[in-house]
Amino acid sequence: MGYTPEMKELIKRVEATRPARMEKARRGENFPALSLEERAVVLEKFHPDYQKEGRRPIRTGPDKGLVLPEEIASMLESRSMLRPENVDLSNPDFETDVLIVGGGGAGTSAALLAADAGVRVIMTTKLRHGDANTMMAEGGIQAAVQESDSPYYHYMDTIGGGHFTNQSDLVAALAHDAPLSIAWLESLGMMFNKFPDGRLISRHFGGSSRKRMNSAGDMTGAEIMRVLRDEARNRGDQITILEFCPAVELILDEDGKCAGAILYNMETREFFIAKAKATIIATGGNGRLHIKGFACTNHYGATMDGVVMCYRAGVGSTCLFSTQYHPTGVAYPEQNVGLLITEKVRGLGAHVLNIDGEQFCFPLEPRDVESAELIKEALEVGKAVITPTGRYGLWLDSPMIDLLHGEGTVRRELPAKFIQFERHGIDISKEPMLVYPTLHYQNGGIAINADCETTIPGLYSAGECTGGLHGENRLMGNSLQDVITFGRRSGAAAARYVNGGVELKKLTLDHVVKYEKELVEAGVENPMVAPILLPDYSTDEVASRRLLEIQGKLEAE
Amino acid sequence: MSHHHDSKEPKQKKKVQVATGDRAILPEGATTIPVYIMGKRYEVPETLTIMKAMEYAGFKFLRGAGCRGGICGACPTVYRKPGDYKLHFGLACQTVVEPDMYLAQIPFYPANRAAYKIEDLEPNPEIIFSLYPELFRCVACNNCTKACPMGVDVLGYISALKQGDIARAAEISFDCIQCGMCASRCMGELPQYHIAQLARRMYGRAIMPRARHLAKRVEEIESGKYDEMLKSLQTMSHGELEKRYKEREREPDMAPNGTWLPANDPYL
Amino acid sequence: MKVSYYPGCTLKTKAKNLEDAAVASMAALGVDFEELTRWNCCGAVHSLADDDLIHQVAPVRDLVRAMEQGSDKVVTLCSMCYNTLARANLLMRQDEVKRKTINDFMNEEKDYHGEVEVLHFLNFLRDQVGWDTVRNAVKVPLNGLKVAMYYGCTLMRPRNVAIEPIGDTRIMGEFLEAIGAAPVDFPEATTCCGSYQILANPEAAHDVSGRILESAIRAGAEAMVLSCPLCEFNLSKKQPEVLKKNKISREVPVYYFTQLLAMALGLGQEACRFDLNSECSVELLKNKNFPV
Ligand SMILES: Cc1cc2nc3c(=O)[nH]c(=O)nc-3n(C[C@H](O)[C@H](O)[C@H](O)COP(=O)(O)OP(=O)(O)OC[C@H]3O[C@@H](n4cnc5c(N)ncnc54)[C@H](O)[C@@H]3O)c2cc1C
Ligand code: SF4
Ligand code: SF4
Ligand code: SF4
Ligand code: SF4
Ligand code: FES
Repeated sequence: MGYTPEMKELIKRVEATRPARMEKARRGENFPALSLEERAVVLEKFHPDYQKEGRRPIRTGPDKGLVLPEEIASMLESRSMLRPENVDLSNPDFETDVLIVGGGGAGTSAALLAADAGVRVIMTTKLRHGDANTMMAEGGIQAAVQESDSPYYHYMDTIGGGHFTNQSDLVAALAHDAPLSIAWLESLGMMFNKFPDGRLISRHFGGSSRKRMNSAGDMTGAEIMRVLRDEARNRGDQITILEFCPAVELILDEDGKCAGAILYNMETREFFIAKAKATIIATGGNGRLHIKGFACTNHYGATMDGVVMCYRAGVGSTCLFSTQYHPTGVAYPEQNVGLLITEKVRGLGAHVLNIDGEQFCFPLEPRDVESAELIKEALEVGKAVITPTGRYGLWLDSPMIDLLHGEGTVRRELPAKFIQFERHGIDISKEPMLVYPTLHYQNGGIAINADCETTIPGLYSAGECTGGLHGENRLMGNSLQDVITFGRRSGAAAARYVNGGVELKKLTLDHVVKYEKELVEAGVENPMVAPILLPDYSTDEVASRRLLEIQGKLEAE
Repeated sequence: MSHHHDSKEPKQKKKVQVATGDRAILPEGATTIPVYIMGKRYEVPETLTIMKAMEYAGFKFLRGAGCRGGICGACPTVYRKPGDYKLHFGLACQTVVEPDMYLAQIPFYPANRAAYKIEDLEPNPEIIFSLYPELFRCVACNNCTKACPMGVDVLGYISALKQGDIARAAEISFDCIQCGMCASRCMGELPQYHIAQLARRMYGRAIMPRARHLAKRVEEIESGKYDEMLKSLQTMSHGELEKRYKEREREPDMAPNGTWLPANDPYL
Repeated sequence: MKVSYYPGCTLKTKAKNLEDAAVASMAALGVDFEELTRWNCCGAVHSLADDDLIHQVAPVRDLVRAMEQGSDKVVTLCSMCYNTLARANLLMRQDEVKRKTINDFMNEEKDYHGEVEVLHFLNFLRDQVGWDTVRNAVKVPLNGLKVAMYYGCTLMRPRNVAIEPIGDTRIMGEFLEAIGAAPVDFPEATTCCGSYQILANPEAAHDVSGRILESAIRAGAEAMVLSCPLCEFNLSKKQPEVLKKNKISREVPVYYFTQLLAMALGLGQEACRFDLNSECSVELLKNKNFPV
């Protein structure tokens, strides 16, 4: 299929400027990088995290007054799906020791550790077990396993990478546990990349002082997820897995302890009361909120449900305002939109160009700055390409790589990307790629301590839905380690809490009633209903014909 | 959610309709093609994936969509094309619509899985044979390989296992995303991907050599070697942390793992 | 000429002594003996009833693999594999209609018309290597070891794939003579060992196995050679039960023919793999002062 004839015409402009740009590149000249002051300006104006526009203080809840992106703020200022007065909590449908909400890497690790400690577990998850961001991680997982490295350097790299905004107890826990996590995964039978003698192959990555990135092929997350899922299935006697059954509301008891959650079978549209002595929230990220309309790299169910439920119950957040954008997500072909194009492409010398084939930025600015410059070129300067499916795209001139480093370099150095595009009729060693920034990672989230405790007794949280570990900037490979380290910690801590003896009092949803009252008092009009569970991608035309839904909305108002 | 446009630039003054998030749109001038979703005709924009085309047509996925990036196995789809007797298989999130294709998703296919205790298993093919005796029902029809949307040589790994070669089976099956298409087409009624998962775990746990340096690091950590160090870092002033951060020595890129050690490093 | 070697699954799992000894012997004889790089189980476990074409697919696919790799001969060690591949090959050579159906069904592969020749290892030794070559390479002649030649049925039946004309079978005898042993013919040399009956009806299998062992003893054999892992299972692994049931007082050492070849060529234990045989098999060789 490849590029359309119109796009091929546009590529001619890129080719026209290429010889002159190649000359310069060969001489080692590049488009000048921004000064620190200029960086600040472009970030301020165009980076979604810095822009004033599209952000506002939240009006309700534990973080009242905190400035957040509009999409996040309005999702937290939301009503429950349920009318609490209609819910009978006196006859739970499920009773268990530990309820785990979310079956990604964090949730499944938690389930295994809790089971190890001898308690009964129910793990409930929105889609299939393993349909999760964990499955998608390609690059690798950090852990100071080599002799040249130590938890000290892991701590240092992490906190420096996060501009020293990280929560220090979490960083220390991560650095301490990381090698233990790797050994655990190895003992479960994960196929790490190794030398023939068994030594792990560890690599450098952006921001590392020591080689610390461990991997399994180019599908590290999938390999982790497959192994954990398989192991959870082996423990059927202790771990019950409920698929397509997201939690939609937390339940507390009269003393304010967490007492489980309300689950929603999305297929039969039934609600179930799951009573549990301890609850772990491991619901992952929020890419599918498409903050500011950006495409994202996340899985279909990444809609921030856990943060919403905890916030409504009174648990505040850490760094929730901070989101990681990757500057080069795919903008074309449509089937790959949002997927990552590694930094390596620019590292190998490819220029970033506008519709006229002109350079407009230094290609290797820090991620956030680079993203802001691309956005500026599209929105302010107006020199982006518009794809056949109506997306902004800027050229990433990958053919330069073979010209600079010799025929075959693209194929050799970027095999996965080469195949991904070739499948759709684009030879990236001959034709440039179209890219645009993409939403990648929820840096902040539910506030926890190093035992994964929240401010509510019996309520724990782990993984991408939590905040603090990465501060305002996450290093590559630290989130997979996050989910294993804190997934394990949360499972062990919840089991300890249960084994210490927990007595639940009468169950209540009063926190929901109270929060909804606060919404009214704060003057929040027509609050949305959340968690939303899944994004809605129907077109306006289709939506306008869904009369029952439109009617329902009108009646509710 | 609309982007603001500056009118300074003449190039794109005309108001463009812009796609946001994953919602597909039909930009001016774009063409649509007919596809048959479970037998019913819909007009969808060309160049979309089957997944986005179905969403464009008004379907909202509950099953049949997961990662949307070709790695979770939630969206396997079968289709036929006019004038072509062959069955085609693809991931809905990765396969582009073609005119007049007839398609159906198979988001789930039953396949039995044997439970086992990994810590009790010797890496012995006999164990795989006893957990999955149906392995020997394979007639080498190769339907599985033809159905695999990841291009895995399924018959290859099944054959390797019958031959007792766990390592080879583990390596051949590494790209499996457990979508179940192979099992759906199997004449011998094998649950291929579950068998492969067992093989990979046996391989990773007991055939690949363990990382000795890792075991040593675990021992060090468990003996408390780094506890004080990490504690003092947590209370260190911002200034001191920043200073130490800048002073970190970077391991040389070209040093193979396990060869480079900085002299007198008190933090290792 | 390029020859590929097709091992079969059993040789990779339960009958390593059949394979290891053969592979090492070929190396010692300086014969190029390369395992197919890709192959699947030949499917001998299924019946090859003629109208059930799907079971022909597995062996034909292996023949296609050999053809793909540019071989015009494929050699097997296991009698069952030989039988399965040879029968499938015959079908593809002779039955035009079925050939077309199978080729159409496997249309992801190259069409196959019987281009490859299927050989049992014994034929390969005789015709491609030559008894003289073997004789000259022998370092430890098996001086006078009296060995019963057990063919079983799959080397001999059906007739059109038999490795030698029935009633005029000499190949095993020639082989044993070449390595210095004394072949012992006996009436039940081509009687079926009971085959898969051992699973459904072990008693019946023990009966025929008993008859075979007794017949060999009566003919004066000290030991027995064979070339099929299933025969080995019935006649050797299950021998204690067989002897008991048939009240036979003497144990019969059983070897794969390739093991005796490897020993005669002076190859060590890693090649001969007598560790996988029964105790009495090892004892006999020790008593005769053979290097085990
Ligand atoms: C494309 C991509 C590449 C990445 N690459 C890397 C990398 O190389 N290295 C690295 O370290 N990190 C990487 N990351 C980040 C990392 O993969 C994730 O941050 C991490 O795996 C998150 O794990 P988790 O268990 O917290 O969440 P997830 O794995 O997302 O799991 C959350 C689960 O909870 C379920 N859920 C959500 N809401 C509910 C609810 N209401 N009720 C029940 N269940 C619910 C979800 O369906 C999901 O199954 C990458 C991420 C992406 C998207
Ligand atoms: S091997 Fe089977 S389960 Fe795995 S990806 Fe291929 S078809 Fe899907
Ligand atoms: S589909 Fe089943 S029977 Fe056919 S080759 Fe694959 S595993 Fe064997
Ligand atoms: S004889 Fe048996 S084990 Fe040997 S390859 Fe043929 S079927 Fe597989
Ligand atoms: S196993 Fe028995 S049935 Fe088979 S070949 Fe050997 S003798 Fe015949
Ligand atoms: S949605 Fe995960 S593979 Fe298509």
